[in-house]
Amino acid sequence: MKKKTKEDKGKGLYKVLKAKVDEIIDESPLIKTFVMTPEEPFKFNTGEFIELTLDGLGEAPFTPSSSPFITEKLEVTIMKTGYITNKFHDLKPGTVMGIRGPFGRGYPVDRFIGKEILIVGGGCGLAPIRSLLFTLIEMKDQIEKVVLLYGSKTPTDCIYKPMFAKLNSIDKFEIYRSADKPDGTEWDESIGLVTILLDQPRVNMENSIAVVCGPPIMMKFATLRLLELGFSDNDIFLSMEKNMSCGLGKCGHCMMGEFFVCKDGPVFTYAEIKHSPEIWK
Amino acid sequence: MQKAIKINREEWNRLLIKLSDAGEHLYAPVRHNGVFDYELIDKESIGEIIYNEAKPASPLKIFFLPVRLNVTMGGKAPGRIVIIGAPACDIEGLKLLDAIYIDEKYTDETYLSRRQNSIIIGAPCHKTAENCHCTIYGVNPWPGDGCDISMSSSGEDIILTTMSEKGTGFVNEIKSLVDAQDPGAGDMDRITRLQEASAAEVTDKNDGLPGREETGKLIEAAERSFWKEHSSKCVSCGACAAICPTCTCFLLIDRPGFEKIKQQDTCQYPAFERVAGGEDPLKELSVRFHNRYMCKFVWKPERFGVLACTGCGRCIDACIAGISKNEVIREMT
Repeated sequence: MKKKTKEDKGKGLYKVLKAKVDEIIDESPLIKTFVMTPEEPFKFNTGEFIELTLDGLGEAPFTPSSSPFITEKLEVTIMKTGYITNKFHDLKPGTVMGIRGPFGRGYPVDRFIGKEILIVGGGCGLAPIRSLLFTLIEMKDQIEKVVLLYGSKTPTDCIYKPMFAKLNSIDKFEIYRSADKPDGTEWDESIGLVTILLDQPRVNMENSIAVVCGPPIMMKFATLRLLELGFSDNDIFLSMEKNMSCGLGKCGHCMMGEFFVCKDGPVFTYAEIKHSPEIWK
Repeated sequence: MQKAIKINREEWNRLLIKLSDAGEHLYAPVRHNGVFDYELIDKESIGEIIYNEAKPASPLKIFFLPVRLNVTMGGKAPGRIVIIGAPACDIEGLKLLDAIYIDEKYTDETYLSRRQNSIIIGAPCHKTAENCHCTIYGVNPWPGDGCDISMSSSGEDIILTTMSEKGTGFVNEIKSLVDAQDPGAGDMDRITRLQEASAAEVTDKNDGLPGREETGKLIEAAERSFWKEHSSKCVSCGACAAICPTCTCFLLIDRPGFEKIKQQDTCQYPAFERVAGGEDPLKELSVRFHNRYMCKFVWKPERFGVLACTGCGRCIDACIAGISKNEVIREMT
């Protein structure tokens, strides 16, 4: 693989790397995973994001949901929520898309060594978390424990269903799920907002960090609950969702106070951004 | 080291004709129908160049950040340009543009090539315009570092002072084409007096307007109701940003063939920060209005350590709703 140098990176900032869609997986009625083969191996760190272009139609930021240890394939999980994501959902295998990136600052996994890691995810926010989980599986000898709390609107909206059974069988990994409301499909886990899963002690507070990713409203209430539980501002890692357009800290669309979320984030500690304006919008 | 040369104005005009005939792209401010702005200069318009007045209508950024540019099809500078008569406020504004577009990790080559392929001949303001307030933010109305040459008209002469290596190179290039002399101490004193008189005039007419840091504190402290009241006339046209020497935000537009078009944009437009899920931190007009003040006086200075408002006053000139940024700030005191 051609290693990107700092010098290369500055050139052709807006050029894409082409990637062919091999497979499209229906995760839920609104969420699909696109499995792609980039025209050259694509390296990223977990939590960093890419700009994915649909030729001539538009571009949007996504954090890959696949393992950063696999560079020949790339997976991106997309919720149908606006103009361009609707277009993505209409795609068929064989389509060639464009990738720019990786951009930003991902999860500082070195800080997770020796820790118990409490992960709170909601909806399509499980996509970046899945990539993090793949990383933590590789690191499992260096960490104490991983507790994943995941909430979806209904049991049908729960994504990556086949992954959960596998995760539960891995030593040091515990998974708990909730659905906001039942929908008649089989569900033997909790009913309620994901924050109810925080009502029981899951980790040793003396040696834990927390990761939160999901819709802004869920991130807000999960963070407030984690603070109540005693997590320090520095130990809560948030993956922020903003209008990251250029990915380069230039276009200004993702500015949050003095931060460019695309360049300084998207992963921040709560301590870093708690004084920034409108962080939950 | 700075070096100054003096050229008789007729000789200077002949030099510009020679340069123009040789294919050099010269831009300088001229006045048409009362509007004083940059134009590509040719033989006919060389005599119309206006020297040492306050800022042209357009900010200097127009030469480095085209309003619309295909950034995947090259997009680099087509060739060298010489910009004659850039005001100090705009030259100061380039510091922020450079910090954003030329960074260690992601340098925008379309911007860098334009910066590298330009000779900026700055001009001290011997006159001031109605809304000029550069000195309040610590910017003198004469160019310092950041331009290549400083140019002053003194009677029937033009005096060029080199300010950078690139400027020295350019002066060396033109010296063989023109009869140049060393300026006398009297010439330099006269220029200094004119510059300082402008600075005093700007400071006097903005008496009581707080400095940049104090402005930042006032903006942070102002209540939400203040912004609601003062933004009520704003129509989100974005003229303040388009005309601002330091506003640089842009939109990326996709074209077939994975082409990207970079187009000037502003946080004053609705939906600037809206995400697909519908969340929009800048949904309300008053929040967008407030955002601009915070960006200029708090966030960008914090982030980059340079001014994001250089006191040119164009946003006041341009506002169709008649909102004066300075009046808004005075209301806070």
